[in-house]
Amino acid sequence: MASAKAARLGEEVWKSRVDKVNAELVTLTYGTMVAQLCKDYESDYLEVNKQLDKMGYNIGLRLIEDYLAKSNTMKRCVNFKDTAEMISKVGFKIFLNITPTITSWTSDNKQFSLIFEENPLADFVELPDDGRAQDELWYSNMFCGVLRGALEMVQMQVEAHFISDVLRGNDTTEMRISLIRYIDDEMPVDDD
Amino acid sequence: MVVYSFYIFDRHTECIYSKLWARQDRPISSGGTAARPLSGSSASSGPAVPDVGPARARPTRLSAQDDAKLVFGTVFSLRRMVQQLGGVDDTFVSYRTGQYKLHYYETPSGIKFVMLTDTQTANMRSVLHQIYVNLYVEFVVKNPLSPVEHPGGEGVANELFELALDQFVRGFP
Repeated sequence: MASAKAARLGEEVWKSRVDKVNAELVTLTYGTMVAQLCKDYESDYLEVNKQLDKMGYNIGLRLIEDYLAKSNTMKRCVNFKDTAEMISKVGFKIFLNITPTITSWTSDNKQFSLIFEENPLADFVELPDDGRAQDELWYSNMFCGVLRGALEMVQMQVEAHFISDVLRGNDTTEMRISLIRYIDDEMPVDDD
Repeated sequence: MVVYSFYIFDRHTECIYSKLWARQDRPISSGGTAARPLSGSSASSGPAVPDVGPARARPTRLSAQDDAKLVFGTVFSLRRMVQQLGGVDDTFVSYRTGQYKLHYYETPSGIKFVMLTDTQTANMRSVLHQIYVNLYVEFVVKNPLSPVEHPGGEGVANELFELALDQFVRGFP
């Protein structure tokens, strides 16, 4: 079973090959950064979402190489379901020691949700009480960018966004990920 | 075991790093290196690498740049052929001629590692994988000063990477 295998791999890599830092340090650093962004963009939360996504994207572009190196991945995933398993049980596991639940597949197997039961970025967090942040700010939006950037490097164009967040008072924190297309190999330019 | 040369190609099919150790019997002219970050060690192959004998006369000599292009063309075509014959998951591992053996490893992110060695060398796929994991990711990807993409090889040929690679390759039996 691919799922069990992914879980074993994630567990093993997390135990043996990952340098750990204090989780609160991560939480506080991320929190400070989001707070600063809110200040810089004068509580234009849509813009803050965008910036977080962009940062995540740039992280993802590099993080994928570290992921591939640590997990010893030699082959591409055979299908998008496989990819989802690896994201949750290996990717999130080795970098954050969480395994979001995969759920709500569409029938064409191109769209799924990740439910974050725990989210190290959002510990101790309360959204600003200005009546807008609750509706506009996606606090953990960096995750979306990371996935988008990382998957792009392994030739998958995806779209990712949060659809609910416990910080906003929802019951769950849920991210929706859809595969747009597989990117083709680039061809060498003819130099004649 | 003798390593002749080593190349890295990015997913845009560009040669982002190349290094020559021992010369084969086909000296490589120094022309056309402007765009490539060639390390200068080709001329001074260290004592660890035996001389491969006198050069035979060749009709044409290729520049290092053309060399890299040819290598890429070869692995690119071979790879396509292999995939058409053996399915998309198939990859070729190495091929051998009378003169040399070419080893190939491609990461899922599309970075291609190529190493040319003498014909007696065993499979080097795991070695190329190690170069990726322990050297490329550590010293190039995790280097905050190096750009994400490496047009013209920018950021790849940094001192740590070059040093570690050279040591690694010279450490082979």
